[in-house]
Amino acid sequence: MEELLEILSEVKPGVDFEKETELVDSGILDSMAIIQLVARLADEYDVEITPVDLVPENFNSAEAIYALVKRLED
Amino acid sequence: MTYTSYLYFFGFAIVVYLVYLACPMKQKWKVLFAGSCLFSMILDGFLAVCLLVTSLAAFFCGKQLTKLQDKFNAAKKGLSKDEKKQLKAEITKKKKAVVAAGTIISLGSLIVLKYTSFFLGLFNSVSEIFGGIQLPLLYYALPLGISYYTLQAIGYVVDTYRGKYRAETNAAKLILFVSFFPQMTEGPIGRYDKLMPQLVEGHRYSNENFTSGVTLIFWGLFKKLVISDRASYMVSEVFGNYTKYGSIVVFVATVMYTIQLYTDFSGCIDIMSGTARVFGIKLESNFRQPFFSKSVGEFWRRWHITLGTWFKDYVFYPVSLSSPFMKLSKASAGHMSKFMASIVPSACALFVVWLGTGLWHGASMKYVIYGLYYFLIMLLGTIFEPAFVKMSAKLNINRKGKTMSTLAVLRTMLLVNIGMTMFRADGIGEYGAVISRIFQPINIYDITSGTLFALGTDRHDFLVIVIGVAIMYLVAIMKEKGKDILTLVSTGRIYIKWPVMMGLIVAVLVFGAYGPGYGVVENIYAQF
Repeated sequence: MEELLEILSEVKPGVDFEKETELVDSGILDSMAIIQLVARLADEYDVEITPVDLVPENFNSAEAIYALVKRLED
Repeated sequence: MTYTSYLYFFGFAIVVYLVYLACPMKQKWKVLFAGSCLFSMILDGFLAVCLLVTSLAAFFCGKQLTKLQDKFNAAKKGLSKDEKKQLKAEITKKKKAVVAAGTIISLGSLIVLKYTSFFLGLFNSVSEIFGGIQLPLLYYALPLGISYYTLQAIGYVVDTYRGKYRAETNAAKLILFVSFFPQMTEGPIGRYDKLMPQLVEGHRYSNENFTSGVTLIFWGLFKKLVISDRASYMVSEVFGNYTKYGSIVVFVATVMYTIQLYTDFSGCIDIMSGTARVFGIKLESNFRQPFFSKSVGEFWRRWHITLGTWFKDYVFYPVSLSSPFMKLSKASAGHMSKFMASIVPSACALFVVWLGTGLWHGASMKYVIYGLYYFLIMLLGTIFEPAFVKMSAKLNINRKGKTMSTLAVLRTMLLVNIGMTMFRADGIGEYGAVISRIFQPINIYDITSGTLFALGTDRHDFLVIVIGVAIMYLVAIMKEKGKDILTLVSTGRIYIKWPVMMGLIVAVLVFGAYGPGYGVVENIYAQF
């Protein structure tokens, strides 16, 4: 999780990712930021994220993103 | 038949609604289906044929995609991991071929009908440089709404491919989804999983749906007939003869055009959404107070939302996640700073999106530049964002404070106004001439002489427009604060509901630009 928080802070500095639960809905992560994040996640965790996975529910919080990564790793 | 005509309301929509109410629940969708088919035939026989071809192509492709997925699900049981992987690859290859076929049929007819002359013109321009042949330009009659229902059908096929839902098994139902009459010519571009259940489930008369739908229809008519159509007369005069007018008049005309465009498009969407609401169907939102945006990016997330989300889901994400772009992402990481490496791949994908968005609006270089204008502004905004953050910290400026937020909103309005002027100008050359006209020395005589009020939109029209925009602004402020006045009115107590509704109806009847002396102003976005 700490590694993920670090990646998130690099993609979008200045956001309290541990507390935010509406990253997409509130516009903190726009589509450009999501793509930057997906590229980093694919690189760090060796997972394949497809357009089907790119829904707000999977990116609204650090926990949701972590769960997505874990699911794809399996 | 336009959405603001008597024929649409009294000769069509009300008749369909009465038959819809009279039918048994399970048959109601058939009324919508028959009404939509009839509507397309009344508008244009060619449109009806194109709709049928696109819908049937989507139907058969969807069916094939679900069949292939079922085949995979049945065959994978008992297979080893490697065998499963191999089978999946085979099935995916076949599914891709089906999606490609569906997209080629839908998009192909759009490209041939809308863009043939544009591409032939481009070919001729290049050929002329090298002294080559010149091909005759071919113009086809463009069916109304082709740019909207094509995207809707493609979205359905792609989502079926992605396994978001199973394909529709009834061809008539899919034809209804693609051609539902309130959204046929101007959107909003609907999604199958949200719209289809509402279309087929059938709705009884509901007082709430009826009053909220009618309120929305009259709110749309207010925007379209009271504000937009009045503004259109001055806009047409000034853009048609801009060399005759000074900077102030031309600038006012550009602002007036932005008002016209917004009230025309959002007004028509309100009329359509209101019509659907009366039937108990909720269409997707297409606008969310766009002129409260603090950046151009935010503006496009609030303006023509269904087009933006369509391009995001079916162009931006797939392009960004494609292997060439992922490779570009990796290559960037090895050769650039972390910041630039994170921007370059998504900027390239964004370029494709904005090129597509520009071309979607029209087949000319003007629209290409229009799309790329917004792309450039957003890209520069992203590149310079860290510098702005640093500078603000150094100068102790609170970027989220009220003053800076207001300035950001005004800056966005100005940038959007510049973009929309390009939308209205006849070509790039004319656009440049109109903009340079604005920067000519200000001549106060333009105001004192009364020129501003002698261009088809007189003092009385200006007053009506200003009051209309002020009312719209107040409603938007309330909506930003989470209070939807229109919903409150339609669901509120009778002593609030009826006076407001009557006020709206009287305002449309008294101040609407219709009848003798007023020409019919075509819906701007129906031309795409």
